[in-house]
Amino acid sequence: MNRRSGWLGISGVLAALLGCSDISAPLRDDLYEWRLFVPAAVGSGTDTLSFHWPRSALPVRVWVEDTVGLPADFDRAITVWKSVYLYREFDARRVSDSVGADVIVRGSGLPASQFSRIRLHSALRPECSGATDLDISDDHTEFRTPVRIFIAPLASPEDPGLSQCLALTSIHELGHAIGIFRHSPNATDIMFANPVVDLPSAFDRGTAEVLYHVPPTLRLVRP
Amino acid sequence: MRKPYLLLTLILPAGATALSAQTDYYLRVGAIGASNLLRDGIVNKITVRQSIAPLVVLGGSLPLKRGYRAGLEGTISSGGFHSTEAGVEASLGTLRTASLLLDLSGPVAGQIRWWIGLGGLFYLPKDDDGIFLQGGTARLLAGAGADWRVPVLPRWDLMTSLRYDFHRFTTAELKARGFGQSQAISRFSASIGIARGLR
Repeated sequence: MNRRSGWLGISGVLAALLGCSDISAPLRDDLYEWRLFVPAAVGSGTDTLSFHWPRSALPVRVWVEDTVGLPADFDRAITVWKSVYLYREFDARRVSDSVGADVIVRGSGLPASQFSRIRLHSALRPECSGATDLDISDDHTEFRTPVRIFIAPLASPEDPGLSQCLALTSIHELGHAIGIFRHSPNATDIMFANPVVDLPSAFDRGTAEVLYHVPPTLRLVRP
Repeated sequence: MRKPYLLLTLILPAGATALSAQTDYYLRVGAIGASNLLRDGIVNKITVRQSIAPLVVLGGSLPLKRGYRAGLEGTISSGGFHSTEAGVEASLGTLRTASLLLDLSGPVAGQIRWWIGLGGLFYLPKDDDGIFLQGGTARLLAGAGADWRVPVLPRWDLMTSLRYDFHRFTTAELKARGFGQSQAISRFSASIGIARGLR
């Protein structure tokens, strides 16, 4: 290697290091409305309900009834939603005792809805159904734990579509529990009312990401 | 991702047996700080930065002509990194870095020598999540600095070093998320240790 080619090589390395502008962040406009709009607690008008788990409450404690493979489905659902976040905005772990859990998951049909609970129905597939009950205070200022998730198998265990339905419904219902209170209008999103895709889409991910950077209207209250 | 550690432990002793009479060795400890790893915007501005971290430096060199020396220098550091949004810091875990540089040094005046190096920097996150969801990354690294030696024993010097290095940072996960280009990162370190004398 002669001196000229040596300098050319060094110049190339320096150009590679020094060239280009700084990193550019992507536009995060792939999202849908995640907030819930309800009649105002006081007077006329509308209250906006939005919530995300504060960092001080992480990891969120999730208790899952050991039936029809739900614990494994929720382990995966937790991993899937955690992977959406770049800055550890959300974390959860499964706990063995339902006492003190922030989210309680039951593999059974839906009980009668209780007063002050907001029920988010989902998954109208023939193999399984799901719903999430949110306990919001009457004055629309407090988000009380536990969040209750119900996932009910509707098909026989031999039905090949059951395990897929349970898996994607677990991700969908946990999506409600992390703060996506509304259903997506797009059939290609996991948060569509009757989800058919297996994983969160770019819109689901974008929505989940943004909602953790918008101040919530509800304050977490643990019993 | 343990390759950098392995290389360090294999290459330096190998040089020792073959050229022990002419080879200079040093071991230093110190601290390293870096500029922002990342600038993002999700509603608010978010920055990600490594905390000032402890540093271990191991190196060696062989003589060239007129007081110049060529060598190999490796560093390992381990510390936290965090995000800052609206003035609030949040820990993102532990981030280790290892670097390996081929270097050239020469005399300035007295016991002071200049130093330049070129090599690789390896980011080795403790957990594969967030910006490192798809694992660590390796980056091209260029550095410069100065060494100051004070003889303390017949064959050993006290060695103090200042280093500046530069690289561009991105990860596979950031690229997958649509981040464009890469972030210019400057790192500064100061370290002190012992060196086998150049006498």
